[in-house]
This record gives sequence, structure tokens and C-alpha cells, in this order.
Amino acid sequence: MRPCNSLKLEFLKNWIMGLQRWSFSKKEMGILERKKAIKLSADIAMASARNGTTRWSRALIANAYSKHDKHLVSKGASTEYSRRIRSKKILKRSCRRIRRRSKGLVRERTRILKNLIPGGELMNEGSLIEESLDYIVSLRAQVDVMRSLVSASEVDR
Amino acid sequence: MSSRRSRQSSASVSRISDDQIIELVSKLRQFLPEIRDRSSDKVSASKVLQETCNYIRSLHREVGDLSERLSQLLATVDADSAEAAIIRSLIK
Repeated sequence: MRPCNSLKLEFLKNWIMGLQRWSFSKKEMGILERKKAIKLSADIAMASARNGTTRWSRALIANAYSKHDKHLVSKGASTEYSRRIRSKKILKRSCRRIRRRSKGLVRERTRILKNLIPGGELMNEGSLIEESLDYIVSLRAQVDVMRSLVSASEVDR
Repeated sequence: MSSRRSRQSSASVSRISDDQIIELVSKLRQFLPEIRDRSSDKVSASKVLQETCNYIRSLHREVGDLSERLSQLLATVDADSAEAAIIRSLIK
């Protein structure tokens, strides 16, 4: 299932807008710092393309807002997401039965998958699978667009 | 090992059910080359989960590499260059 063009276009638009908020004309910005900015904008753009309809995208934006530079995320979107995720974490913490044993490959690998998906640790197994599939489609759209941009930029060099 | 009778309460963590595994496998077949090329229909849940995790990790790595290359390329882009014009026309 290829990511559809509308998703890629949505991602590209969001990404360009996000990058514009971050002044790239600063020559003093090192390559590593710029790389982090590019990657962060790309991730936020990818998540924004979902318009809050998936959990991983909401979690990604909320995490980005709390951890990184706040001007990369529009304030309205992220405060609501953060609030929702914070209250969910509190609920999970009080209801969760603590399981120290991790018997079986399935359980162990489910745990690993949960750590790979943004917000995965808050999901039950059913949602996790659905969210993983959507996350993979979005990642592929992101990779396709970034790859195209790289090859387009490298043509004249 | 059948786990149809689930003991899960609404908020607790529990095992993936057999039905969910079947659904996951059929959807992931389209994405994961290792599973797609396999002629047998029997794929274990743990294998599917492993391939899923590996695939996501490789996509993450690729995003990181592409970000780094773009960082190097964009170091020399001015606002008036050809690349900037292309990008601007793409988002109109």
C-alpha cells in the first residue's frame, strides 16, 4: 500500500511552513543543529497531516512541544493534545497492574513496538496495531518526500 | 496457546488476541518484503512483530540520514536560489 499523493503533499506543505518558522539563513547554525531542526519539522509535519485523528500523531506533537523549541508547533494544537495525554497517563498509572515478568517473545516484542510508536506506551494492543500501520504509512510518505527533495537538490551539484 | 478468554480490564495491558494477529499479518504483508515473499501462510506473531519493529527502525534511520543530507545541502541555499523557487512553486 503506497502512501497516497495527497498525504505526501500535505506533509510537504506542513514541512515547508514549519521550516520557514525556523530561520535557516543563519550561517552560524551547525550541520548537526540544522539536521535536528529538519528532522523535527519533518516529524511534526508528518503528524500534523493526520489532523489529530490518530493517537501516535497527537503524542508526537505533544512530546515535541514539551521537549523542543516551542515555536515549531502551533500553540493551539499542542496544548490540547498535552492535556489529553497527561490525563490519560494519570489514569493508566492508577489502573495498571504491574507486570514484571515478560514471558514469551510476543509480549517482549509488543513492548518493543510500543516504545517505537509515539504514545505507544499508553495504547492497548488493539489500538497499537492500527496505530502502527498508520504510523508506517506516514513514515513512508515522509521518507518518499524527503528522498525526492534530496535528489532534486543534488541534481545541479 | 489460546487466549480467547481474556482477563483484561479496560485499562490493563494484555496479550494480543489471535484475531488481531491475523489482521496484523494480512495488512503487514503488503509492507514487509520478508513476509510477503514467504510462500507459507503460517507466520508467527512474534515474527510479524519483529519484522514490524525492524521496519520502523529502518524507516527512522532513513529519516535521520535524509535529514543529515538535507542539512548539508541546505547549508548553501539562499532565499533566491533555484531550489527555493522550486519549493515555493510546489506548495502553491
